[in-house]
Amino acid sequence: MKPDQQIPRNALVWIIISLFTLVAPHAERLPLWVLGVYVFAACWRIMVYQGRWSFPGRWVKAGLIVSSFAGIYFSYGSLIGLEPTVALLLTAFALKLIELARRQDGYVLLFLGYFICITEFLFSQDLLIVLYSLLNVTLVTTGLVAMHRPGENQFNRKTIRLATVMLLQALPLMVVLFFLFPRIGPLWTVPIKSHTAKTGVSDFMKPGDISRLGKSDDVAFRAEFSGDIPDAADLYWRGLVFSVLEEGAWRSVRYYDIPAAERRPGPVETSGAPLTYRIIMEPTQQNWLYSLRYARATSPGVMAGSDHVLFSPTELEDERLYSVESWPDAVLDPTLSQWRREVELRLPQGENPETVAFARRLRAESGSDAAFVDAVLARFTREPFAYSLNPPLLPGRNPVDAFMFQSRTGFCEHYAAAFVVTMRAAGVPARVVAGYQGGEINPVNRTVIVHQFDAHAWAEVWLAGQGWVRIDPTAAVSPDRIEWGLERALAGEGSFLRDSPLSLLRYRGVAWVNMLRLRYDALTYRWQSWVNGFNREKQFQLLNDVFGGISARKFILVLIGSWVLILGPVAFGLLRRRERRATSPSDKYYLAFCDKLSRVGVTRAAGETPEQYSARAERAMRPMAEQIRQITRLYTALAYRPAAVADGRLNTLERELERSVRNFRPGRR
Amino acid sequence: MNTQALIEAAVAEVGKVLLGKEPQIRLALCCLIARGHLLIEDLPGMGKTTLSHALADVLGLSWKRVQFTSDLLPADILGVSVYNRNDASFTFHPGPIFTQLLLADEINRTTPRTQSALLEAMAESQVTVEGETRPLPQPFFVIATQNPIHQSGTYPLPESQLDRFLMRLELGYPHPHAEREMFQRRQVKGAERIAVEQRISNGQLELIREEVDRVHASDNLLDYLQRLVAYTRTAAEFAVGLSPRGALALLECARSWAVMQNRGHLVPEDLQMVLPAVASHRLVPSGDYAGDGMALVELMRRNVDVIRG
Repeated sequence: MKPDQQIPRNALVWIIISLFTLVAPHAERLPLWVLGVYVFAACWRIMVYQGRWSFPGRWVKAGLIVSSFAGIYFSYGSLIGLEPTVALLLTAFALKLIELARRQDGYVLLFLGYFICITEFLFSQDLLIVLYSLLNVTLVTTGLVAMHRPGENQFNRKTIRLATVMLLQALPLMVVLFFLFPRIGPLWTVPIKSHTAKTGVSDFMKPGDISRLGKSDDVAFRAEFSGDIPDAADLYWRGLVFSVLEEGAWRSVRYYDIPAAERRPGPVETSGAPLTYRIIMEPTQQNWLYSLRYARATSPGVMAGSDHVLFSPTELEDERLYSVESWPDAVLDPTLSQWRREVELRLPQGENPETVAFARRLRAESGSDAAFVDAVLARFTREPFAYSLNPPLLPGRNPVDAFMFQSRTGFCEHYAAAFVVTMRAAGVPARVVAGYQGGEINPVNRTVIVHQFDAHAWAEVWLAGQGWVRIDPTAAVSPDRIEWGLERALAGEGSFLRDSPLSLLRYRGVAWVNMLRLRYDALTYRWQSWVNGFNREKQFQLLNDVFGGISARKFILVLIGSWVLILGPVAFGLLRRRERRATSPSDKYYLAFCDKLSRVGVTRAAGETPEQYSARAERAMRPMAEQIRQITRLYTALAYRPAAVADGRLNTLERELERSVRNFRPGRR
Repeated sequence: MNTQALIEAAVAEVGKVLLGKEPQIRLALCCLIARGHLLIEDLPGMGKTTLSHALADVLGLSWKRVQFTSDLLPADILGVSVYNRNDASFTFHPGPIFTQLLLADEINRTTPRTQSALLEAMAESQVTVEGETRPLPQPFFVIATQNPIHQSGTYPLPESQLDRFLMRLELGYPHPHAEREMFQRRQVKGAERIAVEQRISNGQLELIREEVDRVHASDNLLDYLQRLVAYTRTAAEFAVGLSPRGALALLECARSWAVMQNRGHLVPEDLQMVLPAVASHRLVPSGDYAGDGMALVELMRRNVDVIRG
């Protein structure tokens, strides 16, 4: 192979380093054997470098390809979908290392590296991930730089310094492109998310669903109020309304089951100033959005369902920012349509007979629907009901009966479901609402952080004249849950975040840990609202505000103009540097010394040798003569003496020159 | 005796007869140490011949002198074969060129034909007469003198031939003090010639030359040399830039200059010191530039940055 085709050792080392840093954030999603492939490929390539092994033959390569495909297929059960394809890409990336022979292979690998860096964003756009990706970009760029320095056969760290400088020069360009580059929507969509777990509250509710969420400390969303934050007890974030009980699970009414006339939410009378707030949701791969009742979205692209919940027409694959106005006291649906009443009263035939009988009996004893609601809640308070994250398993048939009259231990979803069944059995329209309750107020930036463990289910009961009224049976059983949150409510049980020993939330008793956590959260919020939330509409708005209306022509001019503005100085700097190409460090220091002298009026003429210049400068500045002579002596030794002196001594001289020049401070004459 | 002391002694010895011309004497020695031929150019009566005689004496070389005239023929320098009646054969009678040091006086008084007869001798240290190549004794130097070309009755040397001379020196008028001393010495010693004694033996010269070969030229210095050369090839004032041979000549002279300073490595001063003598006769000013070779050298020295490109 020609020498100019070889990959310098320095580049090889950087490539291997970046290979591992690139795969690291994917590690938790990948099957273990893929990481094994990385180690294997790196070892093989190092053995090749040392000349002990050779590059794999064609059949070996074919075998590796086939077994990678097979491995991915068996690990994920499919080759289609986001995670398997990324895993496949990552495996191929590692295997490419063992056929890294020529420079063009190196380029392929490095450019693929940039691409792989992006794939991480398909899974997370967290601030730390962004910072980590910048590190990855730096490492890959370092590999690229090292490829272009064929002479360097020692691993060295200067390369990364150069790459960093290059990237820093590109940084302003990145910012400009972020603001200006057109945000083109995807040309087509494929179901890339099919294998990503949907997170948060799901679109149907079985006993155990929400208590499962109770074990997670992930953030569901963050809310920022423009005014005062309401009491935690009033923060009922509505997400889904479950009106249909089918086969033991609650679900919403399907859109096409709703009569066409009722698909849009009915008009709601509002009065007074609304609560205004912004919510940034973490990606859920679901459609619904959370809001306090009664909510009207002020951001485009947010729709309202017939049961007054907000949703997005597309699944939330990224963080989503939307603004809402809420009137908590507004009356929802003062009248119920015939269809709606039937839906909200329907119960599966023959299930939970005990509860049905009990409900009818109690309703007959109560004077009104409202009194009946109070009576049922009173029963929850009076009887020995317990609140637990780990309730006993309920039998498949008549689970509500079993819960109401036997186990009497459950999580919010048990209470909400039992309550709604009781209501419906007695002919009171009722439904389950799922969402989140409460949230942690971050004192750093006054946002409400809602975690997955704040997931909650409660009930809404329709009362004549009052419309839908929120009733939370859990509050009757465990007032602490509503007043203080899940942690306090589970204090006796000790089950709060039991399975997440590393969660920072567990250590919020330690003041500095807690402060750090909250500060980072505030930073995340800011990041999400400024960077991730900078979508097409915002961009358009910004450009409109700044440039007063935007046309294609103006847009292009602004784009080109800003590039010139940024690249101009860089180009100028490069040209200048070309002009004064100081090849060696000693030249650089000596020229700095000349600059210093020049500032006090002793300018070196082009044809002046260091000795001549020194003599002139010494005459001009007698007090500094010794220093000038010393610097000249060091420089001429470095520049003209034979390099027979060992490298160590060369470095010493160089450092001495650097120090002398730094300490050389000619005063103004 | 170290090199510098040897050189100093030689310079002092030559200085006895050529008063107040120490720089030129040093350059001339430098040229001979660098194995180069020397061209001395000046008006008649400036001491050209004195200098060349003294140099030959101080180096202890066998020398011959040829006065070039317009009717001088190549055979007069190289030698001829003469028929010997006794053994009925042609015997080669070597010309004056078969010597260690040839003084070619007023070389531009002779025709180009004769001038170029010197060419092979100077370049190859051998002559070819009547189809037979004969080596010249070693060391072999040519010290040529010439009158400035604007003098009448001269045939200017072509560039190709000028290029064979490693250095060209101008002597110039002596300093008044030196001239005064010359007059006084004449009064004291009468017509008696001052003898110049040998100060550097052949062996010592060889040792000095070995030292020259060991002189270190750093990258920085070679960069400077290349910048100098590149300047002559790109700047508008130059019609002809320095040839690679010219650049090599510059480096060789600088090396031997460094040895004369008792230094084992080159510094920019070495290049600058030998620059006028080495470069001025090789550079040709472009048509619209008024200055001569010396002015061009001064341009180089002033405009080419010593430190950076």
